Amino acid sequence: MGKFKVHQDLRGFLKTLEEEGQLVHITDEVLPEPDIGSAGRAASRMTNGPAVQFDNIKGYGPGYSVVTNVHGSWANHALMMGMPKTATTKEQFEELNRRWDLFPVAPNIVSRDEAPCKENVVEGDDVNLFDLLPLYRINEQDGGFFIGKPATVTADPRDPGNFNKVNVGTYRIQVKGKNRIGMQCLAMHDIAVQLREAEKKNEKLPFAIALGNAPLVTFMASTPIAFDQNEYEFVGALQDGVPADIVKADTSEHLYVPAGSEVILEGYIDPRVRTCEGPFGEFPGSYSGCRSQTEGVITHITYRTNPIFENIYLGMPWTEIDFLMALNTSVPIYKQLHDEGFPEVVAVNAMYTHGFTEIISLKPRYGGHATGAAFKLLSTPHAMPYCHNVILVDDFVDPFDLNQVVWALSTRVRPDKDVKVIQNCAGMPLNPSEEVPGMTAKLIIDATTPVDPEPLKRSVELLRDPAKTAEYAKIIADLQAAL
Amino acid sequence: MKCPRCEFDQISTIAKSPQAGVWEVYQCDQCFYSWRSTEDPKVADVFKLTKEQIDNLQVIPPVPPLEV
Ligand SMILES: [Zn+2]
Repeated sequence: MGKFKVHQDLRGFLKTLEEEGQLVHITDEVLPEPDIGSAGRAASRMTNGPAVQFDNIKGYGPGYSVVTNVHGSWANHALMMGMPKTATTKEQFEELNRRWDLFPVAPNIVSRDEAPCKENVVEGDDVNLFDLLPLYRINEQDGGFFIGKPATVTADPRDPGNFNKVNVGTYRIQVKGKNRIGMQCLAMHDIAVQLREAEKKNEKLPFAIALGNAPLVTFMASTPIAFDQNEYEFVGALQDGVPADIVKADTSEHLYVPAGSEVILEGYIDPRVRTCEGPFGEFPGSYSGCRSQTEGVITHITYRTNPIFENIYLGMPWTEIDFLMALNTSVPIYKQLHDEGFPEVVAVNAMYTHGFTEIISLKPRYGGHATGAAFKLLSTPHAMPYCHNVILVDDFVDPFDLNQVVWALSTRVRPDKDVKVIQNCAGMPLNPSEEVPGMTAKLIIDATTPVDPEPLKRSVELLRDPAKTAEYAKIIADLQAAL
Repeated sequence: MKCPRCEFDQISTIAKSPQAGVWEVYQCDQCFYSWRSTEDPKVADVFKLTKEQIDNLQVIPPVPPLEV
């Protein structure tokens, strides 16, 4: 099968990262705070920073480990896709874009005996999250110990047997006791729709939370797709047609979990209960404050022997979360432009703070066409609230290469005609620049070369690469790699 | 012992280190702030809470009306 290496579990991926020089181990004994968060911060700031695994955590001892920054560099992101670790961001965008169209790929349902995540079981009074996972505070002002990379599986109470409506999403978790968790279910997310139906009837909403997952499972769980699209069928597509291995949860007939995950927490959301949650350092690079949020009860845990606790660092961008949300935000928006009226669009970079700033690369056909693409972007479901700033660049500018984008801003923009501000538009409340949360202005900067009938009074002769540039790029890279 | 965030004096021990005696984790029964005994928690003033604030936090998501 396929030319791309596929990982069905975290362990397999960590092995690949280690072989490729993209995983380091900290073997000295350390306290969880502030070391693990600090390492996640440091590694995600490095160019091609590695995943960092802590193998000797004070109070836990042998057999326990935490890994952070698994997705936290373009090299790791490329390896997640089974590509060479040197693949550029644009190459990864194009490959992801191709695989997206393979959806749906039905998952492979394995038996309980075949599923590594079922190796061990604890239930009832024996459930103790602290005994199983080296939990820790990620940022200093976090209100407690958070799990930032879960894949939470829930079904629609109105239609529980409908596999397409089983949702796999990433919703932050604050541990609130040995078997209790706070869960963030924002009204805009699928899980809140399901919870509302359960809470109307004062019923529990069952969940299964997978921790320490195959890298594309985590990636998919943080990708916004339609309510009736199944995430596991997307994982199969992103694995280039290799089905995701899943297994039935122990305590619910309708929930399926990734078979290779390190830990599966099963339980339910306590209906109509809300308690103080937060603060938590979030993706815009600031804390989200305390709110009254839902609580879950863990009744049953299955786990692999010596489970590896995978967690994330979030802070001032860029951190691991920015890599995790970069291309899965960009590709759907690209498709909404390219496939729905703007085939001239070559690529979309929507990876700055989950799309607060977006860069469209296109070949405009006539004067004002590029601005039309910006209007189209600002009317797509995600960008309408999230995107504040749109930058338009020519098709030959790589929107993922900021050196090129800033070149376009520097040499193609006449501020008196190319910069537009549109007042009083929809915003995204987590953006701290919004004076009234949820309302913002939109900035459009047209950095494309003018096309008729827009006047271009001075001729501009673009420099092109010398004929053998691509050939020499490979020769030089190979020579350097052999040094 | 008092909560470093809301000064409530009922604090639960929610965890003890798997290797005995290395640390414990405490949690406030009122605001759910939690911390490890090896930390020296410094809650920034902007994140301190009063009982009144805790009782009036924004509810996410809103609890729907009961349909029976
Ligand atoms: Zn408190």
